[in-house]
Amino acid sequence: MASNSKRAVALVLTAMMAASALAGCGGSSSGSTASTGGGATTASTDTSTDASASADAVDLDSEEIQKQIKDAIAQEAEATGGKISMKLWCSGDDLQFEKTLIKEFKDKYADSRYEINIQATGAIGEDSAGGKIIESPKDGADVFNFADDQLSSLVEAKAVAKVADLFNANVIKNNTADSVEVCSKDGTPYAFPKTSDNGYFLYYDKTVFSEDDIASFDKMIAKAKENNKSVFYSLGNGWYNTAFFFTAGCTVEYKDGKQTATYNTPEGLSAAKAMCHLAESVDNGFVGTAGSSGENATVQQGFADGKFAAAVIGTWMGPAIKTAIGEDNVGAAKLPTVLMDGEEKQLHSFGGYKIIGVNAFSKYPTTAQALAYYLSTGDKENNTQLKRYETRGLIPTNNTALENEKVKDDPALKAIDAQRPYAHPQGSSVGGKYWASNIGGFGGEIVTAKGKISDSDLETKLKNLVTQMEG
Amino acid sequence: MDYLDYVQMTKGQRAAYKIKSFFTGIPGAIGNLFRIIAYYIKKFFVFVGTGIKNYAQRFAQGDIGTKLSFIIMGAGNVFHKQIGKGIIFLATEIAYFYFMAVFGMNYLSKLYSVGVQLDDAGTMADGVIGSQRAITTTNLLGVPTISNRDTLDNSNQVLLYSVLTMIITIAFFAVYIANTKSAFATQQTIKAGKKPIGFIAEMKTFLDERFHVTLLTLPVLLLMLFTVLPIIFTIFMAFTNYDKEHQPPGSLYRWVGFQNFADIFYSNPMKSETFGKILVWTLVWAVFATFTNYIFGIILALLINKKGIKAKGFWRTMFVVTAAVPQFVTLLLMRLLLGTNTGINGMLGTSFPFLDDFMWARVVVIIVNMWVGIPYTMLISSGLLMNIPEDLYESARIDGANAFQQFTKITFPYIFFVTTPYLITTFVGNINNFNVIFFLTGGGPSPSNYYQAGQTDLLVTWLYKLTVNSSDFNLASVIGILVFIICALGSLITFNMSKASKNEEEFS
Amino acid sequence: MTNTKSSSDMQTGYAARRKAINTLVYVILAIMVVIWIFPIVWLVIQSLRGEPGISTSYFFPKQWTFDNYIRLFVEYDDQGNALAWSEMRFPFAQWFINTLVIAIFSCIISTLFILMVSYALSRLRFKSRKTFLNLGLILGMFPGFMSMAATYNIMEILGLKQQLFALVIVYSAGAGLGYQVSKGFFDTIPRSLDEAAKIDGATRNQIFWQIILPLSKPIIVYTALTTFIGPWTDYIFVSYFMKDNQMNYTVACGLYSMLGNQTISDYFTTFCAGAVLIAIPITILFVIMQRYYVAGVTGGAVKG
Repeated sequence: MASNSKRAVALVLTAMMAASALAGCGGSSSGSTASTGGGATTASTDTSTDASASADAVDLDSEEIQKQIKDAIAQEAEATGGKISMKLWCSGDDLQFEKTLIKEFKDKYADSRYEINIQATGAIGEDSAGGKIIESPKDGADVFNFADDQLSSLVEAKAVAKVADLFNANVIKNNTADSVEVCSKDGTPYAFPKTSDNGYFLYYDKTVFSEDDIASFDKMIAKAKENNKSVFYSLGNGWYNTAFFFTAGCTVEYKDGKQTATYNTPEGLSAAKAMCHLAESVDNGFVGTAGSSGENATVQQGFADGKFAAAVIGTWMGPAIKTAIGEDNVGAAKLPTVLMDGEEKQLHSFGGYKIIGVNAFSKYPTTAQALAYYLSTGDKENNTQLKRYETRGLIPTNNTALENEKVKDDPALKAIDAQRPYAHPQGSSVGGKYWASNIGGFGGEIVTAKGKISDSDLETKLKNLVTQMEG
Repeated sequence: MDYLDYVQMTKGQRAAYKIKSFFTGIPGAIGNLFRIIAYYIKKFFVFVGTGIKNYAQRFAQGDIGTKLSFIIMGAGNVFHKQIGKGIIFLATEIAYFYFMAVFGMNYLSKLYSVGVQLDDAGTMADGVIGSQRAITTTNLLGVPTISNRDTLDNSNQVLLYSVLTMIITIAFFAVYIANTKSAFATQQTIKAGKKPIGFIAEMKTFLDERFHVTLLTLPVLLLMLFTVLPIIFTIFMAFTNYDKEHQPPGSLYRWVGFQNFADIFYSNPMKSETFGKILVWTLVWAVFATFTNYIFGIILALLINKKGIKAKGFWRTMFVVTAAVPQFVTLLLMRLLLGTNTGINGMLGTSFPFLDDFMWARVVVIIVNMWVGIPYTMLISSGLLMNIPEDLYESARIDGANAFQQFTKITFPYIFFVTTPYLITTFVGNINNFNVIFFLTGGGPSPSNYYQAGQTDLLVTWLYKLTVNSSDFNLASVIGILVFIICALGSLITFNMSKASKNEEEFS
Repeated sequence: MTNTKSSSDMQTGYAARRKAINTLVYVILAIMVVIWIFPIVWLVIQSLRGEPGISTSYFFPKQWTFDNYIRLFVEYDDQGNALAWSEMRFPFAQWFINTLVIAIFSCIISTLFILMVSYALSRLRFKSRKTFLNLGLILGMFPGFMSMAATYNIMEILGLKQQLFALVIVYSAGAGLGYQVSKGFFDTIPRSLDEAAKIDGATRNQIFWQIILPLSKPIIVYTALTTFIGPWTDYIFVSYFMKDNQMNYTVACGLYSMLGNQTISDYFTTFCAGAVLIAIPITILFVIMQRYYVAGVTGGAVKG
């Protein structure tokens, strides 16, 4: 059998390379790529540089490919006696929904040669999944949902698997160019796009603010104060307050494992002073920190108690805000302007994606990739992203789903689109060290001091931050 | 000052004296620590020296059986007709060498290997723990797989197995020495014309003369495996670069010597500054947390136990109930109750930064800690108050002492004397008080000049964050070692003190 | 001031003053009890609150409900079918059983270990006794969870990764170190008892089981209760050892996971309900054992 002989060659090659690596003479052999000529099977050292994104998208739903995938799954299952058991990490909120997709996936690839068992858990959320995978890849889920900014460190730690060309070609075909872009690193694809709403914009109460009011923060705060309510923006969280530095024109870049953040410059100081300006209104129509209970709970609580009239937050809080003030009263818009260096400037933001990765150490790489692909795209009959939008309200990246009328009319999507020119991609802006710095604490200090911090103090603090991020 | 001066002091002066001598005792204790270390080092060398001498002597004076047991364990016992014991010794030797051949040597040899990391360029790196290169193959569908996933070296595994091998080797060495001793001792017994002890009889000693061996073996074995082994492993980590950028199996870590200690003391300004600040706060916290609880707990106990106060059991139970509710529950609840936008602030419509402003946060953690801890002190001192002999008060009243004088002259000294050891353990316990800080503030607020920590973080909660949040295992291990040293110093000082005042035995 | 004078005037004056002082003490105690009990009452009230969210702007809920308690045990899917525990978002009942099992096993093993070690170190004399005492002291000074990453690796090697039994081992393997309190107790039992038994030909084994242990009921109860309560309140080890394996969480770790950023709004009142459920048995146990607790701590302390 042709495929068997190819496998045997690959095996021998693998063994030889293993032997040479163990003998410790791998020093001279520099990442050579060996190919067995057949083309289909290659053995190569870790990251091969051929992105081969140009490969034609094969119809995954065709019977032939389906059979091939099932064959590959069966082959993987052999090692564990025909039983495949995998783990999926997703957001606890999405757990029930993802479980229905898992069921569909299992039905789709049902075969007598193996049995697939997938355990989904919401215990590790999208914000922490990447970190947990890096910490201990072997304990990690085979397939995991995460925010795109974690991709760089996952790739550096070699903990996330490269997306197979077969799937990648279809991912490229079916999703927006931006979302495909964030799933790759240096031209190599490492993840499957899922939703495009990992960013923030403005949710507001239409009964309080007119379209005019929401143009600038100062106007909003004044109006909110009149109504005895507050505007919420979490300056005490780095994910939100980085927006000010973007707005001021600081360079925030993460490249080749190096973080750049030019906060120790006049621009950085302008950003900090703009934050101080907002913080001056704390307790006077503005709430600037979520404290220990977190942004989500604070926003939910604030709207439910009637204290908040507007908040800068993401789609995931949409349902809760709608419940609190009534669906018709909820408005969504791009971020307002802020007063910076004496002029009103449009506030920038992070615009991120939630994406799906496959653990590089998974025992069932093919099954895992097939699952990740299914969760991210689905097939001809089932557009999983559309379903996800319908069930969970999460904004798709899938071209077909975005064509849907209901999706097109979504106010949150419109707000995201309006904010998009000012949104910065997370993955290429910030890495692990950025979050490890006390950027959130910096904003927290400003809020606690109600903006009364001298320029020289701010400069020292900014310098500290840069040391933490770049050091 | 001698003993006579001491007994002539009033109780209050004595307490003051004790507190003063605690602080003046610090330099002495540090000196003492070095003296103790030097003493044990000296003792160790004497021990080794006499060991070698006796070992040589045994060999020189041994008969053929004894001499043979120096190479083949158990030979001496078999030769002297202690078959059962001999077989056990021999089996140990065989097992050990088998273990080393198939397992131990493999890992020990990788402990300092010039390894190849999972590195495309295939660079050689010195001191890498383990050696590996992952080989990625792609299958028919072009899905990449790490094909040698199960055989890749993992620094953690190499280090852990190496430590295990070392411990087993030391244990084996002890058995080996015991074997030569046993052979020689039996030889001497026979020489003296007595019959060597039989196997069954010897086993029976484990229920009597050597009952301690029976009692201690299992607990000590498990302690070695699950406490000592991990601690040694963790101490080794302090000398590696095991941080978030070096996570095996993806990326192996390597030895870096004292780099992490240098980082935390001077070479990395951010880390050393954080360490200094957290250390100071940890000590301040420990002092306040210990003494506020102690003093107010005693006062509460006095109030409840005051003559004429009814329903003592009721009052006590009310406080005990709050102490009994699991701490993580009450503390998490307090966190929301004191949140800037929730709980009390929510009900009053205010936004007072109980936990978001660092000075307030520090005050609040101490106050909440009082809420948590006072019932315990109350409970303990209530028990003690009832133990104070009534005739002491009787005679004090006859001498015309008022209530306050009775407290300062009798009650407080009594309780203070009895609870000094408790006070010490509480102090050490507060240095390591994880719950109150972690659940209440999570260490926050976190200003920009702290590395992975906040202004209410203690050394232990910092350690926890470094382990769990930022995977700085090497730094966490350094902190662990330093916490150990601090606790050891503290205990040593108080130990010295209690030795100094041991003569004071009025109440025992 | 003297109390040799005893006119009836002074008697009544003294009584009145004393009454005033006592009233003051009552007032202080009452205020303190209110402060101390307030969070507990708040906990119970929150657990009965019908409105969702982490906090309300009023003290008493507008809707009273037991739903939060029910929600701990039953969860329905979209079609209204009750979910299996393994499918639930927060399988509290499973956590409760886990904790109970762990607590029972680690209670038995730890108590046995502690008694064995403390008896040996207290009443038997052997060559390396001092060394053991010192080593115990030294090991006790390392922060408890400093080496937990290493312990996790060991569990992985033993094939106990993310297993309940791993927690039993963690809680009881180090139990030998907790010998101080019960050693203090054993130290107080007169040596003459052992001597007499020895003369009668009893072995040390027999003395331990037949003479000393029957005398040690308080310390056995104390040790057993503390080791039983331990697993109910530990968060650190469970969260580090179980990671994503939610089905093997214990109550402390599980309840804490309800307060994550994503879920705190929806599950705070449920958290309170769960907290009440585990606080009740533990509080009862603690109130029962407070006598032994005091005896344990001070008894050990007096002997030093």
